[in-house]
This record gives sequence, structure tokens and C-alpha cells, in this order.
Amino acid sequence: MLTMTDVKKVFRTDLIETHALRDFNLQVDEGEFVAVTGPSGSGKTTFLNIAGLLETFEGGTYQLDGQNVSHLNDRQRSQLRNEKIGFIFQSFNLIPDLNLFDNVDVPLRYRGFKRNERKKRIEESLELVGLANRMKHLPSQLSGGQQQRVAIARALAGNPRFLLADEPTGNLDTKMALSVLELLKQINQQGTTIVMVTHDQHLASQAKRNIYVRDGQVSEMSGIAEPAHIEMHQAAIG
Amino acid sequence: MFTYYLRLAMKSIKRNPILSALMITAIGLGIGASMTTVTVNYLMSANPIPHKSEQLFYVQLDSWSEFEPAREPNEPPDQITWTEATNLMQANQAYRQSAMASTGGVIEPQGQDEKPFMASIRLAFSDFFPMFDVPFLYGSGWPDSSDKNRDYVVVISKATNERVFGGENSIGRTIRIVGENFRVVGVLDDWLLVPRFYDVTTGAFDETEEVFMPFYMKQELELTNGGNTNCWKTPEGEGFTAFLQSECVNYQMWVELRNDNEKAQYMNFLDNYVNEQKSLGRFARPLNNRLSNVMEWMENQEVVADDAQIMMWVSFMFLLVCLLNTIGLLLAKFTGKAAEIGLRRAVGASKTDLFIQHLVETACIGIAGGILGLGLAYLGLEGIKSLYGEFVQNLVGLDVTMMASAILLALVSSILAGMYPTWRACNIAPASQLKS
Amino acid sequence: MSSNQWEIGPIFRALMRNKVGAILIAIQIAVTMTIVVNSIFIILERAQRIERDSGIDEVNSFYLTTTGFGENFDPKSTAFNDLELIRNTPGVLDAIQINAIPVSGSGWSMSFQTEPGEEKETQGGAIYMVDEHAIDALDLEVIAGENFLPIDVRFRQPGVRDWPDNVLITKVLAESLFPDTPYQNVVGKTIYISQTEPMIVKGIVDKIQAPWVGWDDLEHTVLTPEITGFESNRYYVRAQAGQRDAIMPVIEEALASSNKQRIIRGMRTVQETRERSYRGDTAMIKILSTTMVILTIVTGLGIVGLASFSVNRRKKQIGTRRALGASQGSIVRYFMIENFLISTVGVSLGAALTVILNMLLVEMFSLNALDWYFVPAGMIVLWVVGQLAVFGPAKKAATIPPAMATRTV
Ligand SMILES: Nc1ncnc2c1ncn2[C@@H]1O[C@H](COP(=O)(O)OP(=O)(O)OP(=O)(O)O)[C@@H](O)[C@H]1O
Ligand SMILES: [Mg+2]
Repeated sequence: MLTMTDVKKVFRTDLIETHALRDFNLQVDEGEFVAVTGPSGSGKTTFLNIAGLLETFEGGTYQLDGQNVSHLNDRQRSQLRNEKIGFIFQSFNLIPDLNLFDNVDVPLRYRGFKRNERKKRIEESLELVGLANRMKHLPSQLSGGQQQRVAIARALAGNPRFLLADEPTGNLDTKMALSVLELLKQINQQGTTIVMVTHDQHLASQAKRNIYVRDGQVSEMSGIAEPAHIEMHQAAIG
Repeated sequence: MFTYYLRLAMKSIKRNPILSALMITAIGLGIGASMTTVTVNYLMSANPIPHKSEQLFYVQLDSWSEFEPAREPNEPPDQITWTEATNLMQANQAYRQSAMASTGGVIEPQGQDEKPFMASIRLAFSDFFPMFDVPFLYGSGWPDSSDKNRDYVVVISKATNERVFGGENSIGRTIRIVGENFRVVGVLDDWLLVPRFYDVTTGAFDETEEVFMPFYMKQELELTNGGNTNCWKTPEGEGFTAFLQSECVNYQMWVELRNDNEKAQYMNFLDNYVNEQKSLGRFARPLNNRLSNVMEWMENQEVVADDAQIMMWVSFMFLLVCLLNTIGLLLAKFTGKAAEIGLRRAVGASKTDLFIQHLVETACIGIAGGILGLGLAYLGLEGIKSLYGEFVQNLVGLDVTMMASAILLALVSSILAGMYPTWRACNIAPASQLKS
Repeated sequence: MSSNQWEIGPIFRALMRNKVGAILIAIQIAVTMTIVVNSIFIILERAQRIERDSGIDEVNSFYLTTTGFGENFDPKSTAFNDLELIRNTPGVLDAIQINAIPVSGSGWSMSFQTEPGEEKETQGGAIYMVDEHAIDALDLEVIAGENFLPIDVRFRQPGVRDWPDNVLITKVLAESLFPDTPYQNVVGKTIYISQTEPMIVKGIVDKIQAPWVGWDDLEHTVLTPEITGFESNRYYVRAQAGQRDAIMPVIEEALASSNKQRIIRGMRTVQETRERSYRGDTAMIKILSTTMVILTIVTGLGIVGLASFSVNRRKKQIGTRRALGASQGSIVRYFMIENFLISTVGVSLGAALTVILNMLLVEMFSLNALDWYFVPAGMIVLWVVGQLAVFGPAKKAATIPPAMATRTV
């Protein structure tokens, strides 16, 4: 499903180079539910961005669904994102000027579905997250948990093979976080591959597989690292 | 507190230099365009003799053909005939009165090096000078008696005095005009009339004449017709006298009437006069005499050019666009500052504080725009001068009133423009910005 | 690409959530269009006015006025001597004495009618008092009948009221006086001046304008064969091609020294006179064009400014859209469509305002009514201006990286 071999990512700013990923190797198979943990600044978001084709990388190869994505142009990458990948963000990223219906509609439009198809999918996915009755509401009229559910509905509406979530529960309280996690588990059970970045060990432990990112590299399922050391290392870099 | 707001405003303006420049330029352009056209219109429609414009009346008598009016719809001719000019003067029924006409002639300076030159001449009666408060450098107008006696006397302009007499006091000296010797009785001081209301037939913004001469010299010296001559009937017979006695109009008549009573009496007199003429077989049209005061007459003669008015309206619309532009940009800017505003609210700034803070910022932009606008208005007026040439020279000055009003207009309009965005900004709830 | 991707519905609904900004732009566009369309209309009309051909050889001609003074001045001999002097000056093609100059703004007009008596239908006509050289000097063509003969030309003293027996008239005047007769057949007919005095149309000339450019009957012109003995007289000189500027001072000098009992003044080329007569129109054209251009730029910059702002404000949203599968093209398209919707409201309102302003101008300043196609043309122009203005910010929006979506700012 997802195979990264020796992927490298360097951020260059005026003064410094940050090696966000160095020889990053990971394979995720169809149907997996992977939780990614790691200290702040270790490269989790960077990994997720590359996995989701939001960002390019410098070295190594990345195969998504058997396809090498290195040489795709912007259009093709956009299309891949649109068809195969669903995104869930920490701060929900709903479009404030659009109601729930139109928000969920956004990726479907880019997909080019017909009107009726879109309507059906929007209703189904909002139904799934339990917000079908608030279709005409604006994001600002919902609680954080509800907003994240809408974001999940938006990610699911296009039936992606692959769901990427960057700290989806980071802005939610424990109860809300658990209910969102339940939703994700349910989705995973229906066959969608999920990669979720989280800081919450408890949530991570509920995933089928855990990986730990540290200093831009994967250390598969190990114990708990010494965060203080890593923070200092990070500080030394940045 | 105010200086604190001022500092905040300056900071905010500097933070978005391009946006601020855009707003200031927009206001400046709008103000500049409006002030340019307003100035032109204001000067065109200025009251040239404000303290007595209500007491000076232009006389019209409907001596035109029975078959058609001089001007649709049923307007009397805008000038009078020689017959009426002389009859009304002889009747002497107003407090002051002067019939007048324009003509021209060659002046031959006595000095060797000055060449003869063509001068514009106004034929008028002695009342002309006190009636229009004509300013004198030397001497005065001629006495009543000179009108009747057809004395060879003249009043000359300051410029003519410079040219012929080198600027000396020339009272009593002789000047040769149209081949005759005249005695100078008065030299005018600078006399700028905008518009030159007493005769607008050849353009309201002509200069005042170089020479003033008793009216009857027209007949005495058979002087040519200046201005416009209109006839509905060909003069009967040959020669100058036939022309004077014709129904051709080429003369203007002004009277000074100090109050409504005098005006009513004079109107009555005119009606009686016309009725008397009717019995002599003239004035075939129904009674249609007019007395218009200065501003009424300017209105009637449409002294403010259509183009100038069109430009003024266009420039107001231009200003409107510029202000809408500014409102939009301010709105965007203040919305962009929502986080900051929310924060200030959260730390205890009251709505009023924020309102004043933003109003100060808008006012600064307004004043900057106003100053720019003033500069642009100056350029605009220079532009108009170069486009229209010398004849608008007197129409394109910026005076203190106009400058003050430019700044004021800029300030008021920019504050108005800033009102809504400011109001919106101040109503950002303190809490709303804490969410991302 | 399916029409679903155009997102018109959602864009419109999102716009409605930020009405004020959109309405401000729409009104700006509307007012700008109103000014632009009406200005262009006025400009084109004025340009057409200026373009009108006076019928004479303007480029090579000039004129001057002489005014005699003193007892010894003899107008008659002066006129004949002057004409001879001018015509014999090298570089002069031909010259005439004339009472008024076409396009100059001052002249003499009379009423003409085809039957004698009061209360008959009349046509106004400008009078040019000239001799038989007028055809060559003014560069006219006698298209029917004949030119004056020297014998037709009389000397007119001041104060004389009657008119010569033979006249030349323009084709346009011939057709106005005798609407049912082909102009060729007007030759030989009698027309009446001063209601009762007959004149015979000796010939028809192609075209010469009256002095007043604002006059409706600009080509109603009559040439009468006479040399005048007024105190002031005008000479109109047509130079050989390219010689005008060289001979102007020569002639001025020659006239001044040939007779000291007069002054020479107002020497001016016909081109300059035309420029003066149409100065108001030229100025109006320049002022309106400048206004129009600046206004369009201001409106355009306003759109650029607001669009840039909204791009900045929507960075995260744009990143999110990109993350959800929007290509760069879709982002550009989003802003273009958004602008198109606003412009559409603007130009629709603008169409109405344009017509209203034109009606006011017609009402208050008796301008002409706008031709209908100016309105759609103006709409298209403003649409294009809007699209051009928003293209830059839209391009910039498209460069916002999709990763912006996961950035927590
Ligand atoms: N756009 C960027 N420009 C420069 N440096 C960046 C950029 N994005 C990330 N980095 C750097 O790359 C490293 C990895 O960042 P990343 O966002 O992937 O960390 P993370 O593991 O997601 O951290 P957190 O748990 O705090 O979200 C950091 O040192 C960060 O400063
Ligand atoms: Mg992160």
C-alpha cells in the first residue's frame, strides 16, 4: 500500500538546514491502522505530508499503491490525493464560509462526481458521523468534536483507500478524543488504511500497529524514549 | 492617549505600506479630481459682485418678430436695440443705469517706439463706474454731463496706461483713439471680474476692456459693432443711421434698483414704455420684459459651461469609487487585524478605545490623502490651464478656501469611509479570536 | 472537466457570507463602468466633431486682419493694392479678401428663402464675401454652374444693406432650400435674402463650413462676390505646399510697409484656428480619457488589493483545498470565478447606471443618447479588467503549498 525507502527531507531556510527526515523507511499494508508517535519536531508531520503528497522529498523512493510518485506533476499529485487519500487535521480545517454540506462537497467537486452522486455521498458520510441533521449549519456553530467529525466525513466522502490524520484529537478533550478514535477504528474495520499521528500514548496503544519516529527516522515499536534528550537535540539543530 | 493612538496608527500604516499607499493614493486621486473640477465650477459660478448682485438688474425687452421668439421658449432677445438703449437712458427711471456696447479701435501712442495697436472699447454711461464699483488708480469716471455733451473723454485700463503713458498719472493727458483725441479722466486699477458679468454675449470669461468711452460716441464716430449683432428684420435704408434705427440688437442695459419697490416701479415703467412703443407700431409680441439680477442673469446665460459641470459630476463619481475602494481596503485590513483587536479587547480595551484608535488611523490616511489630493488638484488645474489656454487663466486659481475645503473633504470622506470598517472591527467579540 | 468543478454554487454561497466586501467591489465596478462607457461615448462623439472636414485647404492657409486708422486711410485702394501684392508674392497659391474665416467662431449669417415675403420657411446660411479667386484660394470645387466672373464682383461700402445679384452656395444648402430638386438643377434658381431681395444661384460648390463649429447647419454657406471697404478687413492666403510658414512673415512685413495707416493683427494659421475652436473638445477628450484610465487603474488596483488580502486570509483554506485534491488550476479558477460573479453583479448594476447617467446627460446637457452596443461592450471591458486584476493574486494563491493545511498557524 505505502512503501517509503530511504526518504529524505531537508528544509532549507536562510541560515540553517533542518533534516526533518533522514533515510526514512516504512511499509504500511492495506487495511492497517498505524499510530505514529514521537517527540515534537521529530518529523511526524513531515512524514505524513509526504505520505499524503502534500510535500515533495529529496531522496529515496515512495510508492503509493504500487505507484512511484516521485515524478508526478502537480495535477497528477492533486488527483491522487483527491482519489486515494483522505485527510484529517488537528485543527479540523473546515472552510468557515461554507456550511457542512458544502464543506464535505469540496473534495467531491474536484473529483468531478455528478450532482446526485455527490449529494448521496455527502448525506451518507454525514450520516456516518452523526451530523446529517445539521447539514446547513456553519462550522462556527459546532463544537470542536463535531467539527472534527465533519472533517472525517469530508475525508471519507470520496471513499479513499487511505486516511491520514495529524493529531486528529489534539484539540479535543479525552471523551471527544475517544469517540473520534472509535469512529476511526470503525472506518478501519471497513477496510480503509489509516495512518494517525498522535501524542497520546493511550490512543496510540489502541491502534493495530505503532511506530515511533525519532530524529527523522522510524524506530518501529519500541519503548518510550527519553523525550528530554531529544528535545535538546532538536534545540541544537534548530 | 491621543499620541498613543497616533503612534499605533503610524505603526499600522507602516505595517502594510503598499496597502496604505494604495488607500492614500485612491483618496488623493479622488480628492484631486474633485477639487480641480469644483474649483473650475466654483469660479465659473462665482458671484462677481457679491455685495450688490441683488440690486443690479439686466434689462430685456421683447422687441422680436411677431412670428417667432428670439429664443425658444418665448425668451426675449438677450440684448436691446439702439432705440431702446437711448430711450431708456433718457427716461432715467432707475437709481443708476447704463446702456452699453462693445467696440474696438486703434490707439496711436504718441511716443516714437510704441506702435499703434488695436484696443477693446466699452461704450457706457457715467453710472457704469459707481454702479459696478469700478476701482480707480487715478481720477474717476466722467460726469453725467459728458454723456449728454458727447465729450471726448475716456477711462483707460491700468495696462493701457502702462503701454501708452508708461504708467504715469495720465489724468488730463490726451490719447489718440480711432483717429480722435480724447482726454483721459480716469485710470482703472486692476479689475478682474470672473465672470465678466456685465456682458457675456461673447463669452463670460473675457477680460474687462482696455478703454471706456461715453456711449454716444458710437453715433458720433460711427464706431463698429463689437460682440453679437442679431436682427430679425433687415435695417431699412443705407448707412450708419439706418443701422442704429433698425431692430438689430447689439446693446446691453443694466440698472441699479435698491429695493423691491424700486424694482416694481421700474418694471412698471418698462411695461408702460413697451405699450407706448406698441402704439407706434413696434413690439408686436405680447409684453415680455425681464429684470434679472446678476446671478439670475448668469444662470440664464448658462455661464457655467456644460463640460465643466459634466466633469464635476464625473469627478464626484470618481471620488465615490475611490472611497469605496478605501472602504474595501480598510475593511480587509481591519479584518486582518481581527486577532490583534480580539487580544486588545481581551486585555481590557473598551469598544470606544478601539473605535477611536481606528478612527485616528483612518483620519491619518485621510489627511495624507487630502494633502496628496491638494497637490494633484494643483497639477490638475495646471493641466486645465494648458489644455484650455489663456482664456481660463482666471478660472484656475487655488485659494485658501478651496485648500481648506480639500483637506476637509478628504478628512470627512475618509472618516466616513473608515466608519463602517472601524465599527465592524470593534464588534469583533473578544472570544472569537481565541479559536484559530 | 466537468461543470461540477466550477464550484459556482459554493463560491456564491461563500461570497454571501462576506457580502460587504463583494458589494463594495461590485459598486466600484458599476460606477467605473458608468463613467468609462459614458466617457468613451462622449469622447467618440467629440472626436467625430473634430474630424469633420471644413472643406478648405487648412494645412497651407493662414489669414490676417488689417485695421486702418487716420483720415488718409482709403479702404478701397488699400484692398485692391493689398490683394495684388499678396497674390504676386512668390509662394502664394492664391489669396482673397474675406469677411470671416471658416471654423474661426465669428462670422455673419443671414436667412435665405425660396419665396419672397414674411413668414416663409427659411434656411440660415453663413456669408463669405469673396471674389472669383475664392475657389482656388479656399480649395473649393464648383460642382454645378459656374464660378464668379471678375465683373460679378462689386465693391461694398460700409453701411450698404443690399446684396450682389449672383451667389454661389454649397451643395448642402442647395439641398436644404430645394429638397425636391437635384442640386445641379438649383443653378439659375432665385433665392431671397432679407426676405425680399432676390439673388440668383450662379453655381454650387462642393463643401465649405460656416465659421461656427457648434452650429447645426454647419455646411449652409453662401459666397457673395464683393470686396469690402470696412475699416477692418481680412485676407486669407493659401500658400503653395510647404511654403506657408515661410511666407507668413514676408506677407506681414510687406503689408505693414506698403501702407503705414493701418495695423496688421491676428495673423494666424487655419490649423491654429481649428485647434482653438475645438480646444474645448480636445480638452474634454483628454480629460475624460485620463479620468477613465486612472479610474480603471484604481478599480483594478482595488480588486488586486482586496484579492491579495483575501488570499492571505484564506491561506489555510487554500492549503486545505489543495490537500483535498484541488490542483493549482482549480485554485486559480476559484478566484477567477469568484471575481467573475462579483463583476457580473457589478456590470449588471453598471449597465443600469450607465443608461441612467446617459439619460441625465441627455436631459441636463442635451447630449445624444447612447448607442445600445456601448453597454454590452462596457460590460465586457469591465469583466476583462476584473479578471486581469484578480489573475495575479489568484496565481499567488495557487502557489500556496498544500502542506499549509497541516501547519498550525
Ligand atoms: N516548512 C518548514 N520549514 C522549515 N522547517 C520545517 C518546516 N516544516 C517542518 N520543519 C522542521 O522539520 C522538523 C520536523 O517537523 P515536523 O512538523 O514534521 O515535526 P512533528 O514531529 O510533526 O512535531 P510536532 O509533534 O510538534 O507536531 C522540525 O525541526 C521543524 O522545525
Ligand atoms: Mg506535527
